[in-house]
Amino acid sequence: MGATAIQTKQLGKRYGSFWALENCDISVPEGSVSALVGPNGAGKSTLLKLLVGLSSASKGASEVLGKSPVQHEDFLSDIGYLAQEIPLYKSLNARDHIAMGKNLNKRWDEKLVVSRLKELNIPLDRPVGKLSGGQRAQVALALALAKKPKLLLLDEPVAALDPLARHDFLASLAQAVADGGLTVVMSSHLLADLERVSDHVIVLAAGQTQLCDDIETVLAEHKLLVGPREHAKALGDGVHVIHETFTPKQSTLLVRMSKGAKLPAHMLQHEPNIEEIILAYMGQAKEGGAA
Amino acid sequence: MNWFAWRQHRKQFLVFGILLALFAALLIPTSINYWHQYQHALTTCATNPNTPSCSDLSSSLFTSSVDGLVRIGAVLGTFGLPILLGLFIGSPLIAKEYEEGTNKLAWTQSVSRRKWLTVRLAWALGFALLYGIVLTLLITWWSRTLNTMTQYRFIQGHFETQGLMPIAYSMFFTAVGFMTGAWFRKTLLSFAVTFGVFVLCTASFANWIRPHYMTPITVTSEIGPGAIDNKIPAGAWVLKRGDLVNKNGREVSFDVPNFPSECQQYTQNIQVPNGGHIARVKASGVDPVIECLNRYGFHQVAKYQPPYRYWDFQRIEAGIYLGMTALVVGATYWLVLRRDA
Repeated sequence: MGATAIQTKQLGKRYGSFWALENCDISVPEGSVSALVGPNGAGKSTLLKLLVGLSSASKGASEVLGKSPVQHEDFLSDIGYLAQEIPLYKSLNARDHIAMGKNLNKRWDEKLVVSRLKELNIPLDRPVGKLSGGQRAQVALALALAKKPKLLLLDEPVAALDPLARHDFLASLAQAVADGGLTVVMSSHLLADLERVSDHVIVLAAGQTQLCDDIETVLAEHKLLVGPREHAKALGDGVHVIHETFTPKQSTLLVRMSKGAKLPAHMLQHEPNIEEIILAYMGQAKEGGAA
Repeated sequence: MNWFAWRQHRKQFLVFGILLALFAALLIPTSINYWHQYQHALTTCATNPNTPSCSDLSSSLFTSSVDGLVRIGAVLGTFGLPILLGLFIGSPLIAKEYEEGTNKLAWTQSVSRRKWLTVRLAWALGFALLYGIVLTLLITWWSRTLNTMTQYRFIQGHFETQGLMPIAYSMFFTAVGFMTGAWFRKTLLSFAVTFGVFVLCTASFANWIRPHYMTPITVTSEIGPGAIDNKIPAGAWVLKRGDLVNKNGREVSFDVPNFPSECQQYTQNIQVPNGGHIARVKASGVDPVIECLNRYGFHQVAKYQPPYRYWDFQRIEAGIYLGMTALVVGATYWLVLRRDA
């Protein structure tokens, strides 16, 4: 296990009397690509804004690249951030934005951003307000990467893009990750997309952390069990039911196994995919919230 | 950071530069023309003192409808350009960043939010300062003819449009613009509030605040046409002219019931035909009422700020506005740095 890029403890953010994020504990290893998933309003954007210092925590603490997030150049220079609405100065063109980045950053790889955008055939001299959504997202990503950040925080960057643009964006991201030295946290509610690029998953629902682990570990620890209802009641030690669905005669259970726990032999076992597991955790939070 | 601040403002600066150039195109020729006409009239009146218009030059010179438009234009431009700075440079400065989310882009580059704000505000305020200086040089120079001829520069409407005031207004309304923008995060709302502050400030300073910077000078005279006017120096800002003071030294209105009963009798003679009693008696001509009031120890009072206090008043009011500007800038820092993005 390498060093930790992000560590939060009981992190919380309150707007008025509403807790958008509560008791959030996550740990993101350096060099990982984390998928931050959860339904709308789960607190994903809130968490990312806290991590980049755009808003301040109501309680708890966080450590990002060994520092407490503040809007200070020493902290900001190592972090790339892409806000949900992909904000850019609409009347300025990509070249102006590149000049802005050069003016506002100590470390700035102008060649990288220019060659990246040229490769993608994005016109540098057209106001970004006149570019397509996919092109704007690519401009914003290229700008964030030109800072040579150690950590890249992306808030639903592909949510508004068509499938092709989404594919291109994720390909650009994957290439940047392959170049090395980058930790990425990317929020989305499009599970299939995340699966393609990420190796770590954080499930946030109802303002709380439901799951935060390596995808491999998550896959290894979770099983889908199918069997008669009466068998579902006695599963043995170390087996925790995450989600349960019934038909009159049989139960389908998604369970998390502790190390060394034995599965009940009388139930059918399946390997769930990551999407099923994430959905199970989101469903659990929903039921918990409703109860 | 400076380059990008300049990049964001340069179009606005250009537009405001053009506006100022247009204003100069109105003021420079008329200023030269007015001064020449005035000097010419003075020369004519020195050689031919009996020319009818020489008795009162200010009612014969620059009274055409075109001159009227020029004078209105001068006042509008001098009031208008500083408030336009507030509306079009101040209001969007921070509000538009919030509206379009670009604050999140700017604040996640490697520049602290405080530095970003400092540089942005410094450019806006620096421009407002420079703009105010050029504006006031232009308008104060333009006003020299009317200042000499009418000596009105101390009274409301003239005080605000020359001297230090255009500079103070430019800085203050720009600051109000960006502060309300940071507060409401909506350009249009900031627009409306900034304009409201402009109306409120200019009106309340002229009517309720400015008269109290220094104790006005009080003069009294007997009642009679022109009696009090002779005691007020030319160029003074008259706050009160010719109010009636009774024999106990109390100020009373010029209404019949306030007169001694003997004097009230005289007013019967000039009762208006429709039967109502006279509300006010004009102090014109030799009037038995006036004679009677003087006999009873009534007199007139006037209060004014003398013309030599003009620059003191300019300094005091500009100082107040710059103080308010500093407070508003402080509030902007608080609003931007303490609140979430």
